[in-house]
Amino acid sequence: MTIADTSQRPRFFARGNVYLPHIVVIEKVIEETPGVRTFHFNFKDERLREEFAFQSGQFAEYSIFGVGEAPFCISSSPTRRDHMEFALQRVGKVTNALHRLGVGAEIGFRGPYGNSFPLDFLAGKNLVFIGGGIGLAPLRSLIWNVIDNREKYERIDIIYGARSPADLCFKYDLETWGKDSSVNMVTTVDRGDKDWTGKVGFVPAITEQVAPSAKNAVAIVCGPPVMIRFTFPVLAKLGFTPEQMITTLEKRMKCGIGKCGRCNIGNLYVCRDGPVFSYAQIKSFISSEY
Amino acid sequence: MFKKIGHSEIAKLLSEWSKESTVLVPTRADGVTTWAKWDGRDVSFLDWYRNTVVPPKSFLLPMLEEMFRFQKGKDGYSLELPPSDGRKQVIFGIRPCDARALAIIDLVFREGYEDLYYVNRRNNTTLVGLACTSPYDSCFCTSLGSGPGDARGVDLMLTTAGDQLLIEEVTDKGKELTAGASGLGKAAEADLISAREAVELASRKVTRQVDLKDTDKALLANFEKAEFWEDIAAKCVSCGICTFLCPTCYCFDINDEMDRQGGARVKSWDSCQFALYTRMPMENPRVEKWRRVRQKVSHKFLFYPLSYETTGCVGCGRCIRRCPVNWDITQVLNSLTAKVA
Repeated sequence: MTIADTSQRPRFFARGNVYLPHIVVIEKVIEETPGVRTFHFNFKDERLREEFAFQSGQFAEYSIFGVGEAPFCISSSPTRRDHMEFALQRVGKVTNALHRLGVGAEIGFRGPYGNSFPLDFLAGKNLVFIGGGIGLAPLRSLIWNVIDNREKYERIDIIYGARSPADLCFKYDLETWGKDSSVNMVTTVDRGDKDWTGKVGFVPAITEQVAPSAKNAVAIVCGPPVMIRFTFPVLAKLGFTPEQMITTLEKRMKCGIGKCGRCNIGNLYVCRDGPVFSYAQIKSFISSEY
Repeated sequence: MFKKIGHSEIAKLLSEWSKESTVLVPTRADGVTTWAKWDGRDVSFLDWYRNTVVPPKSFLLPMLEEMFRFQKGKDGYSLELPPSDGRKQVIFGIRPCDARALAIIDLVFREGYEDLYYVNRRNNTTLVGLACTSPYDSCFCTSLGSGPGDARGVDLMLTTAGDQLLIEEVTDKGKELTAGASGLGKAAEADLISAREAVELASRKVTRQVDLKDTDKALLANFEKAEFWEDIAAKCVSCGICTFLCPTCYCFDINDEMDRQGGARVKSWDSCQFALYTRMPMENPRVEKWRRVRQKVSHKFLFYPLSYETTGCVGCGRCIRRCPVNWDITQVLNSLTAKVA
């Protein structure tokens, strides 16, 4: 079985007019960093709270009516379902408007879209999570999923970095994983400050230093495109094959369902065929299209 | 099944169809060939008609459409779908290339999550093809396994046979239009031969040819070569007209528009030739023009074949006829394979 084989993975298919969003209500806002916030939300429709299902790695289109839609992954784990979460950096029109929302605000939500992390493929393996900045959001859904089913997986390494200590997202999770004896957690920053006692260095360089073994292992990488581009060669040097490297990509995804045309890498659409890909799947196009 | 009809009987047929459907016909407005709702005008001899400037895709994928409206009330947001437009439409005189183009769009819009805006309209649409008699010198359909009489994609196919029109009932949907219609005669062997000769004559007029044997290989081999693509893209002005007028191009944008009654989420045509198309706040994979030209060519001649075993081009030639700087896809494709050989 390979990562590309998604046929066995359960998928919740929205019915009817998929462009019509569900209304969800913001239940909590967490300031992760000066530019990143996490939103906890739930469906306004009670029935959907029960029926809705998703997998780690899937994304959705979130919208503020009158402003527009934008795609973000569901950053919480399907193993913890009293609410769902998404996290986003304030950069564009929609994300700026979302950052102004408080508890009780109603937004549009349609999804879940895309494939998911291949839990069946990951079972029984050593997992190396490599994340940068807000790129921890999709990994976080999988990490909690894996921790909640800890016996199914072998060794877990997490290498996570951000530009500075203030830019580290999900600090509460980093702390929990750091204390978890069944998880090997390494946190790094590009530039430290006077209180920083962890590692200093870019994620690819720290990965080379930590040097996780490729034996029976899968690396799951997510971060800014430049981090992803530089991490794959490091993993290759450590003996990881393209099939052992998994990433989840982000592109401008307007429709989320493979129609509007703009998120392709070669003949693959990030929204339809991804967002989770093995490096083997995308390596012929990635250097110039991502 | 083949039937035939005299030119003078066409109006009666359209009048019958008009009772249940909106019938669209080719027309001329200020010298431009376009589509119009049939209003009794004379379309018995479309001898002036070659093809429309805007392809009939616009009746299935409107340039602009409201997907739903939203309004904020006391209990939060309420959403409202537009009133369902269940009316049937007949596109009379669609060219074989444009009908095939819709079959190609079907591959994308019917797969996985269906786009119901397109699919509902498509299900309500019947295509009455009209075989070409005078192709443009920019047409190259015969290089793409098609031709002036290609009936794949239409529901009914009309072909000139002497002083009459031969009607081929291609699909059940087509048969519904001819069932019980008055003025139709049974086609004789001589009519079939006459129609075949007309199509063969038209095919010989399609002189522009491209060799697509190794195009996909050439595109893949040169995908990363910036200089190669800069050369191909050099004179392009990124106006996007080739994509707007392409019968298979379907890319769209989604935006919210506010008005006094609330607002609407709107779907509108978009183009891979615009840098904003792929722009994200932090990244844009296609800032340079050559990357966008590469996307257009690769989508049609590499990605489509990889995903659907067909090209995403039907050879209608609009992108050649309408390009303001004479950028010519057939020249590009021929030079591509020549460069690799």
